[in-house]
Amino acid sequence: MSEGILRRSRDACAALLLLAVTAGSGEGAAGRQVPQRPPDADECLACHGEEELALDLPSGERLALHVDLAPMIGSVHEALRCADCHAGMTEVPHPAIEARNARELTVGLQATCRRCHFATYTKTLDSVHAAVMAQGNLAAPVCTDCHGAHDIRRPGQPRSRISQTCARCHAGVSAAYAESVHGRALIEEANVDVPACTDCHRSHDIADPRRPAALLQTPELCGSCHADERRMQKYGLSTKVLQTYLADFHGVTASLQRVGRGDPPRLAALCIDCHGVHDIRPVDASGSPLMRQNLLMVCRRCHPSATEKFPDAWLSHYEPSWDRAPLVYGAKLFYAVFIPFVVGGLGLQILLHIWRMVVNR
Amino acid sequence: MSEWIVRFSRRQRVEHLLTMVLFVVLAVTGLPQKYFESSWAEWVVAAIGTLERVRWIHRLAGILFGLLLVTHLVTVSVLTVTGRAALTLVPTRKDFADAVTQLRYYLGVSDEQARCGRFDYRQKFEYWGLLLGGVAMTLTGLILYLPIQTARVAPGELIPVAKVVHSNEGLLALLVVVVWHIYNAHLAPEVFPMDTSIFTGRISRERMQHEHPLEYEAILAQQRRAAEAAAAGEGAQAGAAPAGNVLEDPERAEARDRVSPLEP
Repeated sequence: MSEGILRRSRDACAALLLLAVTAGSGEGAAGRQVPQRPPDADECLACHGEEELALDLPSGERLALHVDLAPMIGSVHEALRCADCHAGMTEVPHPAIEARNARELTVGLQATCRRCHFATYTKTLDSVHAAVMAQGNLAAPVCTDCHGAHDIRRPGQPRSRISQTCARCHAGVSAAYAESVHGRALIEEANVDVPACTDCHRSHDIADPRRPAALLQTPELCGSCHADERRMQKYGLSTKVLQTYLADFHGVTASLQRVGRGDPPRLAALCIDCHGVHDIRPVDASGSPLMRQNLLMVCRRCHPSATEKFPDAWLSHYEPSWDRAPLVYGAKLFYAVFIPFVVGGLGLQILLHIWRMVVNR
Repeated sequence: MSEWIVRFSRRQRVEHLLTMVLFVVLAVTGLPQKYFESSWAEWVVAAIGTLERVRWIHRLAGILFGLLLVTHLVTVSVLTVTGRAALTLVPTRKDFADAVTQLRYYLGVSDEQARCGRFDYRQKFEYWGLLLGGVAMTLTGLILYLPIQTARVAPGELIPVAKVVHSNEGLLALLVVVVWHIYNAHLAPEVFPMDTSIFTGRISRERMQHEHPLEYEAILAQQRRAAEAAAAGEGAQAGAAPAGNVLEDPERAEARDRVSPLEP
């Protein structure tokens, strides 16, 4: 999962770089002199240029058949023929449409995308969206709901477009995200380091994030950025967060709950349980529940009978040192010396014992 | 004379057996939690089923281990106070001298070997290591089992300290057993393939002479005295005859420095 995110963010960086280079040389999409248009556009527009052209569907809906060419210019498919997607429509008169309503027609047209984007289409079959669709809910999104139809552009350019796309259905989540430390950086500063929706949720094979197996992946997911030294040093953020979490009781639990059979009765506290999911804020923001004095409330979400001193058991992602948690550090140091001393000493005596036996012979 | 001498009472043999079983169970269910990132840790958890089950077994075994420890301490205390057991495991100045003598022998500096009593300095070291380590493991294990209750009466930082101690002390115990105990009880040429005395309770006269010469001499001396006393006071007072009951009651055997020839 984290590899996919890294790969995607690398792709995004590469795409941005390419854009910068081509824009500089004056040969980018914007600099292109003659816009492409579908080669068969004139033929189709003879009829579909008509403003009034429409079809009455069995549902009573009136399906507009007028095509405006303008949005197609500059789309990634601008040089395709209309019939490349609208297969079977080369016959005139066109074959009858079997869909009972407009939504059925849209959903049915997914087969069109599959002809070229088979690998991507296959991925969508694993998504929570496809699962909802399979339950008979036609409102679940298909290709064109996210990518558009005639006006298909690169979905991540600019990256803030991604969250706008998801927001069309997931408005509440998107609003929370927009206020978060990640969302603000993306939307207000066009920051390329922060995750957009698809960096955590993936784009085509979006898993149900509520499944325990998916939740238990969150440490690695967050860690794919937060344990990345190069990315974090720009913001002065510690990369020890993942390792210190994993080394703690919650992290050990989360790691090993993944390998057990069946779903665990109660998941270990994950990154998102303390930091939030879409509404993640900086831990040093005023009033943050993760400030030391507010931490007990966070602990009590899972440990309702926790008392005042309980949060001190958590070292706040710091590695033990003489300054932070000296007792823990002292204990670690003691065993770092004591174990090799004892075991080495015993091993030495065994070797001496054997050596003397050999000499005695 | 018999070729076998009673070395361990039934209580001691059962204690060893329980310690052994619980130790293995605790190690198998504890190590994967320490090395949770390794593939074998995942294998162990998957083989047992779920992490919850691993922890349940670990905690149950831990509680039983703690109870065994407390039982041992209470039993030994009562036996000692009532004079039915001698403190043969308490380290003395002689043990340090023995260690030096033995090291000089191993290094080839001298040909004199340490002459030990009922327990030599290595066995005393291992016993106290297990006892103190067991106390540390039980206490820190309880803290980790009951963190909320711990934080009510103690600083919260005690919990991560307990985790470090439990984790490292457990590793140390395992290493000592794997390196030291397995060598001394199985691999050492004197006992290979296995020292059976802790399971059968008896040790051969020959090994006794070699490994515990002082205890062996004490036993011989005691037997001589008992025989003399029996000869002198024959038929006088039945209750005063010591040698007769030793075979049936190993606990009492301890009180008499194990004066107990056992018929094979």
